[in-house]
Amino acid sequence: MRLLITNHLANAYESLRANRLRTGLTVLGVTIGIASITVVLSLSAGATKIIGDQVAQAGGAIAVVRPGSPDHDTQVNNITATLAGAQPTSSLTQQDVSDIGNIPGVSAVAPLMLIGGNVTTGSTTPNDAEILATTPSLTDIVSLPMSDGQFIDSVTNKDTAVIGTQLAVNLYGTDQAIGRTFHTHGMTFTVIGVLKLTNTPVNYNNVDFDHAAIIGIDSGKAFNQGVASIQQIDLRASNDSKLASVVDQVNKKLSSNHQGEKDYVVLSGDALAHPANELFYTVAATLTTIAGISLLVGGIGIMNIMLVGVSERTREIGIRKSLGASNTHITWQFLIESLAMSLGGGLTGYVIGYLVAFGVARTFLTFDPVFNWTIAGLSFGISLLVGLIFGLYPAVRAARKDPIEALRQYH
Amino acid sequence: METDELTPPVIALSGLTKRYGLGDAEHTVLDGLDLTIDKGEFIAIMGPSGCGKTTLLNILGLLDRGDDGDYELDGRNVETMTSAGRARIRSNQIGLVFQNFNLVSRLNVIENVALPLTYQGKHKTKRLQEASKMLGTFHLSEREYYMPWQLSGGQTQRVAIARALVNNPSIVLADEPTGNLDSRSSHVIMEELADIHRRGNTIIMVTHNPDLTSYASRVIHMVDGRIDSDTKAPRPKKGELAPKKPLGTKRKPAKKPRKTKARKS
Repeated sequence: MRLLITNHLANAYESLRANRLRTGLTVLGVTIGIASITVVLSLSAGATKIIGDQVAQAGGAIAVVRPGSPDHDTQVNNITATLAGAQPTSSLTQQDVSDIGNIPGVSAVAPLMLIGGNVTTGSTTPNDAEILATTPSLTDIVSLPMSDGQFIDSVTNKDTAVIGTQLAVNLYGTDQAIGRTFHTHGMTFTVIGVLKLTNTPVNYNNVDFDHAAIIGIDSGKAFNQGVASIQQIDLRASNDSKLASVVDQVNKKLSSNHQGEKDYVVLSGDALAHPANELFYTVAATLTTIAGISLLVGGIGIMNIMLVGVSERTREIGIRKSLGASNTHITWQFLIESLAMSLGGGLTGYVIGYLVAFGVARTFLTFDPVFNWTIAGLSFGISLLVGLIFGLYPAVRAARKDPIEALRQYH
Repeated sequence: METDELTPPVIALSGLTKRYGLGDAEHTVLDGLDLTIDKGEFIAIMGPSGCGKTTLLNILGLLDRGDDGDYELDGRNVETMTSAGRARIRSNQIGLVFQNFNLVSRLNVIENVALPLTYQGKHKTKRLQEASKMLGTFHLSEREYYMPWQLSGGQTQRVAIARALVNNPSIVLADEPTGNLDSRSSHVIMEELADIHRRGNTIIMVTHNPDLTSYASRVIHMVDGRIDSDTKAPRPKKGELAPKKPLGTKRKPAKKPRKTKARKS
């Protein structure tokens, strides 16, 4: 027996077109759900890609050590879990940094210590500045070209700092900031270098270098009762092929330093690329929730409208059955109608999702959403599933109608 | 009926019983009906309202099942068949004409007529060609793209008959096909049914109008779910009821490929 798919498609088209408003409103639920999913996925793929590109650009042989338990294994956990930066205390010490530096095959190691508080010139206080205490070797790992002046090094004074271009503009109204001063935590720093604009707020260091004031690790310790609270240790292996063995040895060394307690995690390769931007996760979590709810509501809408359609067309079902339609034919006729609605919603949602993603990306973010088959496939798959799940019951109900009862019904 | 001895009867009912309701409210509509219908008969079923004519027709058309008894169609017991199997028989062997036409209101005339062919899995072009040809035999070629509500009663009924015949069924079941029509239109319809009958199809018709029984080769009176009388009328002479124009000259009455195919399946 043939399923008469083309015939059912023509049929579904006719009956959906006959009730345009009803169909449109029903489809809207699925559209919103799929659009949200597309936005979340394309932007998260974009963020992942940008970090991957950074690592690749930096030569690839980079690993980072972060405090906290190992990385969450699923996307959902990643979204809902407490952020790494929100750990109450850091388990990484300066001893760990120097021990990692002594491992053969490590060409450079640098601690990153993010310090709270504001920087101020006395009259201007930008509120999005980040204070990063680190060592000069950071430039060996992260590409940080200077636009002016020099990076902090072993001979520069304790009260000197390198600042990002945007911070210079925010503080002094110009990026010509060499020799100017700013205050933080009761100390006065002199700017000895300005970084080139990097425009990478999303990166594996979780530091927006354009807004950062970089000071020496010793100054940073002074703000923290003499303790280095290290959020991250960056390291570079001397070449790509050694990275795996270096990561292995770092794990061993830290394990003995930490008495076997796994309160740190060594990330390299793709694991680095997990975006760790707090705003991003908030947006992602919100949109995922909206997507889930609206897909559910959209699905219920489809089911509701399909049930209305089935009872409206009871007589037609009776006629079709009396003319030789089997239960399978009737099931498919209605199932294809609900699938047409959900897939239509999926397609428009996919397109609208990318429009929104590009809008958001171009307005608030520094990277573009990514197109790939996974997102397209997932949007398609989810809308197919919604249409199937919520269309099956009305379709089966239609097919089970007794032809005589159905014929007896008047509109 | 020379072929009577060679082929099994088209329809054989034995002890067919249909009840509605439960317990005290139970009401027997068909009470142990025995009926044998041979190929090529034109049967008129008459009787007062509520005697079970329509229920019998529904069961014969495989829209309903009896509660007791057997129904053999072409020698096959259809009471125990799956619903898919029954749908296939409805699709290939049975043409139904309803009293209230039952055209699908959102489809136009030609789509309505082509509907049974859809479920035989024919392609759209083929469907529309055959439907158009069938509408031509009923002088409805100019009405192909009308919607059902734009037709007169007689035209609507002719469309309904065209739809019942488009899949070349061996059995045509008609439930008061002329119920809503004036006597002139009734006779037009009846002449068309008689013509179909002459082509070798079996026709079972329910009617209230005694005038129309003259077209039938056999008249069955039903009372309270039983057969009260069963008279075989002499077949009307050829030519006596012939329409002014010969209908369906392209169709070959002797050969019925659809039927033999259906029997094999």
